[in-house]
Amino acid sequence: MLGFVLFLLVACQPQPREVTPSLAPFDRELPTHFPAFPSTPDNPMTQQGVELGRRLFYDKRLSGNNQISCASCHEPAQAFSDGVAFTTVGVSGRPLDRNSPALLNLAWMNNGLFWEGGATNLESQAFAPLTNLDEMAQDLVELETELKADPTYVQAFKRVFDGEIKVAYVARALAQFQRSLLSYQSAYDAYVEKKQALSSAQRRGLALFTTHCSRCHQGALFTDNLFHNNGLDDDFSDDSKEGVYQGRFRITRNPVDLGKYKTPTLRNIALTAPYMHDGRFPTLEAVLKHYATGVKASPSTDAVLTQNRSVRLSESEQQDIIHFLNSLTDYSFTTNPRLQNPF
Amino acid sequence: MKSSIITLLAAAALLSSCSQENEVSPAVTSGSADLTFDAVVNDADFTLSKDFTISGTTYNFSTLRYWVSNLKLVKANGEAYSVPNSYYLLEETKEISVQDGSFKYPARKREQIQLTNIPVGEYTSLEFSVGVDSVYNNNLSLQAGELSQLNGMTNISWMWHTSYIFSSLQGSVKQNSTTKTLKVETGLNTNFKSVKLTLPQALKVSSAAASAVISTNVAAITEGVDVMTTPSVGAAQGDVMSKVASNFSSKVFSVKSVN
Repeated sequence: MLGFVLFLLVACQPQPREVTPSLAPFDRELPTHFPAFPSTPDNPMTQQGVELGRRLFYDKRLSGNNQISCASCHEPAQAFSDGVAFTTVGVSGRPLDRNSPALLNLAWMNNGLFWEGGATNLESQAFAPLTNLDEMAQDLVELETELKADPTYVQAFKRVFDGEIKVAYVARALAQFQRSLLSYQSAYDAYVEKKQALSSAQRRGLALFTTHCSRCHQGALFTDNLFHNNGLDDDFSDDSKEGVYQGRFRITRNPVDLGKYKTPTLRNIALTAPYMHDGRFPTLEAVLKHYATGVKASPSTDAVLTQNRSVRLSESEQQDIIHFLNSLTDYSFTTNPRLQNPF
Repeated sequence: MKSSIITLLAAAALLSSCSQENEVSPAVTSGSADLTFDAVVNDADFTLSKDFTISGTTYNFSTLRYWVSNLKLVKANGEAYSVPNSYYLLEETKEISVQDGSFKYPARKREQIQLTNIPVGEYTSLEFSVGVDSVYNNNLSLQAGELSQLNGMTNISWMWHTSYIFSSLQGSVKQNSTTKTLKVETGLNTNFKSVKLTLPQALKVSSAAASAVISTNVAAITEGVDVMTTPSVGAAQGDVMSKVASNFSSKVFSVKSVN
């Protein structure tokens, strides 16, 4: 009888269910100040799926020349970022047009990926770095062939997805691993949980941060998941490279979105220099100085940054905020053995 | 006992939650039908690498590809049969360079869709869409029918904005001594369009072979578009793309014959 019900369930789904009972669901106990862990019914997370995703994330066979992996630009020690403005480690050696973002707490990033939010989910996003000639330059047919030659992968895909190796499953496994990149054990979290004190400079910085920065960098995730023009530029007439200099406008084609980019999380921000979508600021000092004195006004610049001048901070206030931002560094995340290179 | 009643109720609930189309049981009496999408340029047969003059402009095509999805056969009383997993890539193309020329997609011609297990009946109209519906278009790792990342219909210039390429028409256009490369593509959820075609006579699905031929008039794809000014249509040419998508919805397809 139960089997019959399951059959009906399957018959109604647009997509066969893929979690087999032998797989263990992925489970993490998060602090109470975190939002609930979102479910992903199209790609349910399992421990085995996350583990397969980790292997793929660090596997250089994912690139066309078998020289680079996802981790080449997303290194755990730098909170899965790479420390340079525009990396040149891609297969072509040409510099990218975007700063590699830190990868953490992505499970909640459900309002578009990439700096301008054009990718709808991690499963779809993965195909861009995999195929882009300046990134991993992989032929997806070749990728399937290469992975099928490795019995470890054949077995793992069979177990996790109950099927043979397909690039769609590669994308799903990578997405599962990326959603497992959870950072919630910083000094700030210990402070919120009343387990540890912050220094007086950090507490002053937290108060200033709450007043001046938390409208966009809000909540436990330190992002509103939205897009803002934070006044880096005031001229968006350069429409070359499919609008890469025009911010979210290239996605929406709406002028109000010119120069807008996604609010990044500030967790582990001390580890992810340089800053902004193009890595133009080498230090947090330069970032704070921008908000204090460098914001350029244009019709799409966030009004909070231009009208109220609310971020006009003294140099000592800027320093206090940076002290606070340092409390968001989470070494238990960057050194978590479950997130490291398995090879 | 109690648990099996609950199970039964659950089964009933699940059954009723299925959409109406799915309720059409795979009848014992089912048949097959062939649908042919015959590409034409107005009254001429569509041929690659041949000059066609359309409204004073000389076109020479190298690629025609488009997704036909969510195919439904509708009876006179409105009862519809939705073909499951109906995502078909129709195409007539020379070898395609994928990823800026690094990889090749082979030359291919495909204009027929073979439908099997269609409930017996007389179908008086056809409905389908050009492109991929948002459920699958928003998540490239979900796959049904012929949807795949391996056929070059998700190319890199689109990767930063998640979408399949719904349709692609490529080649060259020429006016006087000026020649430009033509690359007209549609994609994105807003350009997912449906097509309804009334059949001149019913498509009779039975034990005997049934077939219908649909004309795909390539000349209508760019109707109303100044291809010499805008020979390349992509995400940055939103208005023109929308025009092309509505051409697919209302002008490109017509029924040629039903047998």
